[in-house]
Amino acid sequence: MEDVMKEFAQLATDRPAELRRLKQQGKKVVAYIGHFVPEELLYAAGVEPYLICRGGEPEPPEAVLDDMLRFLNPLARSIAGFHLMGLDPVMPLADLIVASQPECHIQRIAELLEHKGLPVFKVGVPPNWDKAYAGEYYFRELEQLKDRLQELTGNAIADEKLREYIGYSNDINRALRKIDELRKRDSPPLGGYDFIHLNHHSFFTEPEVAVEKLHQVFAALEHAPARFPKNAPRILLAGHAVAVGDYLVVKNLEDSGALIATEMLDEGIRWYRWDTAVEGDPLRNLWRVRYLDKVPVNIFQPAWRDRFEHMRTLIGDYRIDGVVWYQLAYDEIYDMECTVIAKWLRDLKVPLLKLETSYEYSREATGPLNTKIESFVESLRRGR
Amino acid sequence: MASTIYEEYLELGAYEGKERQRLLPQWIEAATRLGLTEKDMEFAVREWIPDMWDLKYLGIRKMIGAITREAIDHAHLMEHKKRGVKLVYGIIPAILTPYQAIKKAGGDKIFVSFPDMCLMNFLQPLFHKGAPLFELAEQAGLTYGCRHCALNKLRIGLRLKDVVPAPDIQWSFGLVCDEATKVDEFINCMYDDQWFAVITRLPHDTCLGEVDDEIPERVEYLAGAFKDAYEEVQRVTGIQVKEEHLAAASDDFQRYLGKTDVLTRLVGEADPQMLRGSELNNFCHPFSMPFNTGIEYMEDALDTMIEEVRREVANGTGDYPKGAPKIAAFFIPYAVPWVDKVFMDNGVATSFSLGMIPSEKQLIPPSHDDVYLNVAEQWLRMVFGMGCHTEVKTWIEKVNRVKVDGLLLGFFDYDRWIGQIHKLGAKEVEKATGVPTFYIEADFFDDRDYSQEALRTRIESISQVIKMRKAAREQGAVGQRGAA
Repeated sequence: MEDVMKEFAQLATDRPAELRRLKQQGKKVVAYIGHFVPEELLYAAGVEPYLICRGGEPEPPEAVLDDMLRFLNPLARSIAGFHLMGLDPVMPLADLIVASQPECHIQRIAELLEHKGLPVFKVGVPPNWDKAYAGEYYFRELEQLKDRLQELTGNAIADEKLREYIGYSNDINRALRKIDELRKRDSPPLGGYDFIHLNHHSFFTEPEVAVEKLHQVFAALEHAPARFPKNAPRILLAGHAVAVGDYLVVKNLEDSGALIATEMLDEGIRWYRWDTAVEGDPLRNLWRVRYLDKVPVNIFQPAWRDRFEHMRTLIGDYRIDGVVWYQLAYDEIYDMECTVIAKWLRDLKVPLLKLETSYEYSREATGPLNTKIESFVESLRRGR
Repeated sequence: MASTIYEEYLELGAYEGKERQRLLPQWIEAATRLGLTEKDMEFAVREWIPDMWDLKYLGIRKMIGAITREAIDHAHLMEHKKRGVKLVYGIIPAILTPYQAIKKAGGDKIFVSFPDMCLMNFLQPLFHKGAPLFELAEQAGLTYGCRHCALNKLRIGLRLKDVVPAPDIQWSFGLVCDEATKVDEFINCMYDDQWFAVITRLPHDTCLGEVDDEIPERVEYLAGAFKDAYEEVQRVTGIQVKEEHLAAASDDFQRYLGKTDVLTRLVGEADPQMLRGSELNNFCHPFSMPFNTGIEYMEDALDTMIEEVRREVANGTGDYPKGAPKIAAFFIPYAVPWVDKVFMDNGVATSFSLGMIPSEKQLIPPSHDDVYLNVAEQWLRMVFGMGCHTEVKTWIEKVNRVKVDGLLLGFFDYDRWIGQIHKLGAKEVEKATGVPTFYIEADFFDDRDYSQEALRTRIESISQVIKMRKAAREQGAVGQRGAA
């Protein structure tokens, strides 16, 4: 299992170098921000996609403060910050940066990227998803993205090609679901730390290869020995995102003896529970699965009752003992949702721990953080 | 002669005779409901208002009276609801014409209000006492550390305190920030499942080089969204808005706009200047909130103020020394009026607020026959409705037009949309105009995070730079400096 994980991780690590090489060979590189940008469309266009979702370092969020305020969440600030610090290996060579625009943090950061001279294409996502006209807005944005990609490459995006990549995405989802299912065991062979890594690796690997690697991982895990004891408190990790590189809290939770049995995150993890229909208009299918079929993201309105219903299902399915709400600092809408969720979880008598990160993981910051985590895990253990 | 501190307050708000006596019991009741004690009243009447407001002008006193009248009405929202009056709420920023039109159509059968804005404009500038309601919301889950908007906290606090009941419908323009509309969902989920809102949203997704109001699909989309929401408001309230109501609301708006423009120009161009920028902004409330009691009281205050300012200009008198430098701001923080008082103490006059000066584009008549298309176009020409690159261009245009000695940006650090470009914009404006531009990280509504003492040094330093620079310019030697 470890060998397969290492291989998979290496492929993801090598992706920027590969992109540089491909770019020299004349391929177009398209960086993208947010899951409302369908990577299937990018692959079908023949460009090389690269998800920008790196976080977990304290300096990049600070790097934007000459132009922006600290009250944007650290993930949004990191997206521009890594670039401003010269640490983003892909953004400078990107022919296009496609940024989904569901909320203000990323909307302002996209403007900053434009201001810094980067080629940004925005995909607007109206949050009032209960209105048919709002959904059509997002669909038109996808059509415009399709046009822009065709213009960039000079090639038409064939429906068949798009269906092929939808098929790959569905295969990735299926593989992830099989792996995820293993976490329902009393003593599972993997936890959230590994599962989130698998998600991240899959973003930076060609889809065919990602499917193959995930199947190998599953094969290795299916009969692997348990990694977590039977009595490990089972955690649902919820919030905005666990960004690529932001693993400290996830690791510390599991190092403290808990098992992250499942996640409810809007970004940084695939929306693997929802497959895209293959038959019919593929662009419409990509639209539908993101905008209508999937449990709404936090910014959608209304969303929180639906999201809590989903959380409640997860709590039942994964036999969750406690919820950890992992919040990005200054993420005001998630902060509000946390209050609402806390109220409803109290009614269910499910304990909640809210952890907030500004990606400042100094010794001074991690000490109290670990104490909080350990106390919570201990309290869950006693409560079982 | 006023016999109690409550009556003294009304006297200060230019209420006299029988009207004052009639209003007094309602006023005492309203003050109590809003958490204002006799001690607060003493503080407002004896210290805060005389210190922060130029009470020698009857126009100012009438304006205080008009704001108070509206606050009293709001403190009795529960009674209105019990009587079966339909409640329609909104939030800032919004185009007000549709709200005012439904009031014109519904008369006493409808209460149209932006309750948070109305009571913020009352509690903070006149009593400096928004904090207990902000704290109520913080205790209820809008955590202090996350930097939520004070206006949204006030909305939650007012609901929790049972001052503001659930509306029949809240139409929220969610066209600027994300938080305001989500507060509707928050209240609905946490406290009041009768809190019903229809939201209008449009992603901020224009790209560099695109101008929002020049993209026909964008204008049409927004017009359609407005129409959809407005029809829902009319369906829920059962009040049909006709062309004549919209026209009358629009006339009110244009007339008031014309008068505030007169006042702003008179004050901004006067030397010596009378009034501070925060006082000027308070006359502009009819652009940011509907007045359920009608705008005639504010308009009367405005007419009086214009006459008084004209007299001062004719006499060559004012409140600042002649030749005092003038500074504009994105919005002069009227809810925290001590800020521009400190500028005044340092000999710098706050005058124009960029948000209150129409851009050249806004002065162009609407280009459509359809009312919704025109409202959409109007919105997209406002700074709130456009992307940052176009917005900064309009700031530059306005700064060049008003010829001030300095520009102050900031005070919106909590707003993930409006506040975020002020640092970047400060540099761009200064580069393009040569006008020294300063950025202060602070809050427009809630000053608990920063004290007069903390800002005093910063303002002293800004004032010094502006004065030195003005002196240098007058001597023909203008230096350059970076945005601070």
